[in-house]
Amino acid sequence: MRTVLAGPLTRLLPVGLLALSVQRVVFAQHPLNDVKLQFVLALVVAAGVTCGADRGAVAGFTLGLLYDLSGSTPLGTMALAYGLGGMAAGYVHAFTPDPQWWLASIFAVIGAAVGEATIPLVGVFTGESGWITTDLLVIVPIVAGAAGLLCPLLMPLGRWMMGVKRKKWKAMAE
Amino acid sequence: MFSSLSRRRVLALVVITCLLLITLDKRGNPIIDRARSVFATLLSPLDTSTRAIALPIERAWYGISNYDDLERENQALRDQLQTLRGTDVEARAAILEYRELLRVNQLSSTYTIEPLAAKVVGGAPSNFQNTVEIDVGSNKGVRVGMPVTDGAGLIGRITSVSPEHSIVLLITAPEYAILAQVLSTDEQIAAEQPTSSTSPSGIPVSDLTSSTSTSTTSTTSTTVAGEAQPGSSTTTSSTTSVVANTTTTLLEVVRETGVMEGQGPTRPLLLRFTDSVSSVTGVRVGAFVETAGGNNSLAPAGIPIGRITAVRQQSGNSSAIVEITPNANLSRLFFVNVVLYVPNPDAVGK
Repeated sequence: MRTVLAGPLTRLLPVGLLALSVQRVVFAQHPLNDVKLQFVLALVVAAGVTCGADRGAVAGFTLGLLYDLSGSTPLGTMALAYGLGGMAAGYVHAFTPDPQWWLASIFAVIGAAVGEATIPLVGVFTGESGWITTDLLVIVPIVAGAAGLLCPLLMPLGRWMMGVKRKKWKAMAE
Repeated sequence: MFSSLSRRRVLALVVITCLLLITLDKRGNPIIDRARSVFATLLSPLDTSTRAIALPIERAWYGISNYDDLERENQALRDQLQTLRGTDVEARAAILEYRELLRVNQLSSTYTIEPLAAKVVGGAPSNFQNTVEIDVGSNKGVRVGMPVTDGAGLIGRITSVSPEHSIVLLITAPEYAILAQVLSTDEQIAAEQPTSSTSPSGIPVSDLTSSTSTSTTSTTSTTVAGEAQPGSSTTTSSTTSVVANTTTTLLEVVRETGVMEGQGPTRPLLLRFTDSVSSVTGVRVGAFVETAGGNNSLAPAGIPIGRITAVRQQSGNSSAIVEITPNANLSRLFFVNVVLYVPNPDAVGK
């Protein structure tokens, strides 16, 4: 029982709901150059860069499902996009197990770009192809850039949310 | 939990589950609809709490940064209000006359359908949703498919309803489409097409052509005259004021029907005609566009949508691309009206 309570799902849901609420109330109401910054996506990629591709995908899937439930997108659209975004960001662990903040930010930018660009692509398969326009060339860089900036701030929350402790490195005894 | 699954398996599991959910939702699943409704109810108090924290900070920031702009805007709006008060009287008279004509001719109108006022409580959180959330739901009789307007015209339709809230898909969304008609007069067409000898292809709805002339002249003459005295002068003041000299001609109104589609929040609306000749002969920049109504339409006839801002010819095609700018300012919606008109279920779809 204690393991379940300390597990990632029991933390993912409340944190996800809170993040979603912040997105809906704060970030959705204050667009930057007509682009709404994506706080939930930033949290997903932060979880990805701190915990790896697998956990990033699970975080993206769960928070994306919550996002779908709160909006009018077909259920699974944001889950798929954010799942792929979280997974892409988590590939930073292929280079180093404990990335520096700047490296984490770079992969957060990549992950967020993948996540945001996937949404209209999924829309093509669901019959909503009208979102693939040149506007994407503005939307994706702004959302990805904002996620890169927010990532270092959200990394501790992402780590706690996924139930992962920060690695502590010890010098080898001579 | 995750270590037992390989990366490829996690990816496959996520993708397959999502595709399954998308398929179920697109086909219309009552369980998912119910889950959305419950989730909206759960999220509502959380949104209220977040708003209670964020709003004072937001207001303080606006108070500091936008004070001068707000003051200027306030002054401009006051001036605009003064101007509009004058035209309001004229407009009200025209509406009354219009209703009287409808009653006499036993025609229906949007004004016979009672609107339900609602407040916009939120926008779409994503960049790929063109929706707003309003604070009325199924408890107040709102149903999926009902049109939503603001003071200026059509803004969208209800796509999702929970007991206390509803989601409105805005007319600029790419997935939005509605039957619309362009209203233009013969005079408007002739003025812009002087050499044309062909008659418009549209259906003449009204053949009423009458001419009324009202002319009121008031003359005031004031003569201050005394006996002509040497050295004195006679002052004669004559004021002639023409109060009105108006000629009203009820012209033939030409209606061209087509399908209006959204192209995204930053682009104008697009109108496609069912008859390709229509766009060439009967449609000009500046003409009004309103809902066409009909059995398969999502809205009753006569709700204003916007004005035509561009008519462009397509190369290799006789039909034109007609762009419309909506009357309503969709980026600043605060209060709206839900027209309690239940469209044909076949037209609503999913």
